[in-house]
Amino acid sequence: MSDQWTDRLSEYLDGELAPSVRAELEQHLLQCAECEATLADIRRVVGRAGSLADRAPVGDLWPGIAQAIGATPPGGTKAVPIASARRPRRWSFSLPQLAAASIGLILASGGTVLLLHPGAARPGVAPVQSPSVINVGVEPRAARGYDAAVADLERVLTEGRGRLDTTTVKVIERNLATIDSAIVEAERAVESDSANVYLNSHLAATMRRKLELLRQAAALISAAS
Amino acid sequence: MLLTLTSAALAALALGQDIDTTVQAARGDRLDISSYGGDVSIQTWSRNAVRVVASTSSRGRVEVSNVGAVVTVRTEGRRGPPPHIDLEITAPAWMRLDLSGVYTDVKVAGLQSPISIETVQGDVDVSGGQGNVSLQSVEGSVTLRNAKGRIEAHSVNQDVSVSDASGEINVETVNGEISLKHVDATSLEASSVNGDVRYDGPIHDGGRYSLTTHNGDIGLAVPAGTNASVSVSTFNGEFKSDFEVSVTQTHKGRRLSFTLGSGSAQVTLESFQGTIHLARPGKLEEGEDER
Amino acid sequence: MTRTGTGVATLQRDLTDRTDPDAVDATLAASGDAHAFERLYRRHVARIHSLVRRMLSDEEADETVQDVFVRAWQKLGTFRGEAAFGTWLHRLAINVTLGQRETLGIRRKRFLDSPAALETVPARRGGPETRLDFEKAIERLPDGARQVFVLHDVEGYRHEEIAEMLGLATGTSKSQLHRARMALRQHLDR
Repeated sequence: MSDQWTDRLSEYLDGELAPSVRAELEQHLLQCAECEATLADIRRVVGRAGSLADRAPVGDLWPGIAQAIGATPPGGTKAVPIASARRPRRWSFSLPQLAAASIGLILASGGTVLLLHPGAARPGVAPVQSPSVINVGVEPRAARGYDAAVADLERVLTEGRGRLDTTTVKVIERNLATIDSAIVEAERAVESDSANVYLNSHLAATMRRKLELLRQAAALISAAS
Repeated sequence: MLLTLTSAALAALALGQDIDTTVQAARGDRLDISSYGGDVSIQTWSRNAVRVVASTSSRGRVEVSNVGAVVTVRTEGRRGPPPHIDLEITAPAWMRLDLSGVYTDVKVAGLQSPISIETVQGDVDVSGGQGNVSLQSVEGSVTLRNAKGRIEAHSVNQDVSVSDASGEINVETVNGEISLKHVDATSLEASSVNGDVRYDGPIHDGGRYSLTTHNGDIGLAVPAGTNASVSVSTFNGEFKSDFEVSVTQTHKGRRLSFTLGSGSAQVTLESFQGTIHLARPGKLEEGEDER
Repeated sequence: MTRTGTGVATLQRDLTDRTDPDAVDATLAASGDAHAFERLYRRHVARIHSLVRRMLSDEEADETVQDVFVRAWQKLGTFRGEAAFGTWLHRLAINVTLGQRETLGIRRKRFLDSPAALETVPARRGGPETRLDFEKAIERLPDGARQVFVLHDVEGYRHEEIAEMLGLATGTSKSQLHRARMALRQHLDR
């Protein structure tokens, strides 16, 4: 019983209830100590929220900002560039566990896998802008090829993340997460019906989407350096 | 601390550069625009010249040059990255366009030439384009009208919409929806991960059409008299058709095929867990579930 | 005080009714004066950092706040002074924090928190748990509920505005707010 009213207490407090409903609730409050107490609590929460003090950051963020906008930081101190001030946070990746069998089927149905030139991620080697398209042969090598390509790109992104602004990073992360969920769902589907050509090719196509997005992100980082 | 500045001095500080520059262009020249941020709008005229109108604070500069066969328009910052600068450009309709931006919204109207536009955080809105037309945004939406040729329209995060266009069409988004209206495609690939994909246009004999999504719905408007072999695949989703189809093959209820007319075109409709809906032209929006 | 003279008087009338340091500094910064921009930064960083910290988390706040100010520097040319600079900056901070360019316009967003996160704000009843600092408790709320709570109860936006910003139905915004408030009851300083 009181649950029905409990859920409307916030609206009541904020003056959003229709007059007739408000009147009913007020009637109920006269009789229900628990709701009255809950209402008092909510009032205190709102009051507390409204009185929170603003607090400046612990460190001074200005030098990093000054550097980014091309201004000299005060006192000529060496500015901490934003890029290195950022901790290299891991991108929220989740590599799908791939069954070798399904990879074999994927490639048998004519898929091509885009691989970065193997030298791209090694230091001292200039990253290759355009990936070579390689028609990979059969199973286990191919599985390693995809995983290796994804891992390479993820490394590039983790290291270069600071060069992109947070909005772009968020957009990319969210969309990678979308694709990763789709990959997980597609994999589970393949496991339940492993001979299904549609499911296998859909999984392959979704994995390719992940590679493409990772490549796109890497290209953005490269352009921002 | 109060600054003692005359209003004239302050006004002078606020003024930077007002540009209204026109450079000649010879047939075959291309237009190369590089903009860090701001709105870029491109319109056409009948002169063989490119006009650039912009105003920028003293922090930024707009450079317009004509070297070799390229008219270049570039925004720059005097120190650090450029400020956002709005550019209004008028160019001949035959002029090929290459535009690259970061925080740039782009609006183009009237070009009848190849167009290539890339932006990161910005919407792309193009009316026109012939030959190779490639529009890309990461965060923003892509809208294309009245184009013909080999068309690529890609967004990562937002919707892609193509209308009154013809040719070979490739449309992709991860998070957004795809809408294709009055589109005369000889071949079509439209793919989203999260969003719906809808196609309303002729289905040519011998053409190949593929609409795929993971989470979203597929909607295909099928004109009467269409000749197509249609294959519908889903894992968890549904299939519904507003008109009768006789199913020729079923695979565990998740994949079915049927033939319309002579079966000439190849149509592939795939949604992993959404609804695949066939309707007559103009009826596609009706009966769609509202989210 | 300023020296009198028609020049200065015109300056004051041009900018605002009163001599508004934000408006003056915004105009100077728009033309490249980094010192003026630093003054704006120092005046507003506590508020902006607190907003971002509460919307996101402590560890993400510094980096995002830097982005907010860099973006503000870039977009100063488009700030026409229709609203107070602080309001403009605040909106910009919300945009950057939510990872989008604009909050205006209806965009059907598919980035919802997972249903589980939205629905189950842990209901702690009694028990001798350590009470969290109120701000820490806000940080512990699930993303959607936290953002609605911060925007409504801390920052004072209305549900219609919040719904538009977050791509929610107004009803969802209201129910998220209620759940956040109910969860935070346990962590009031008593």
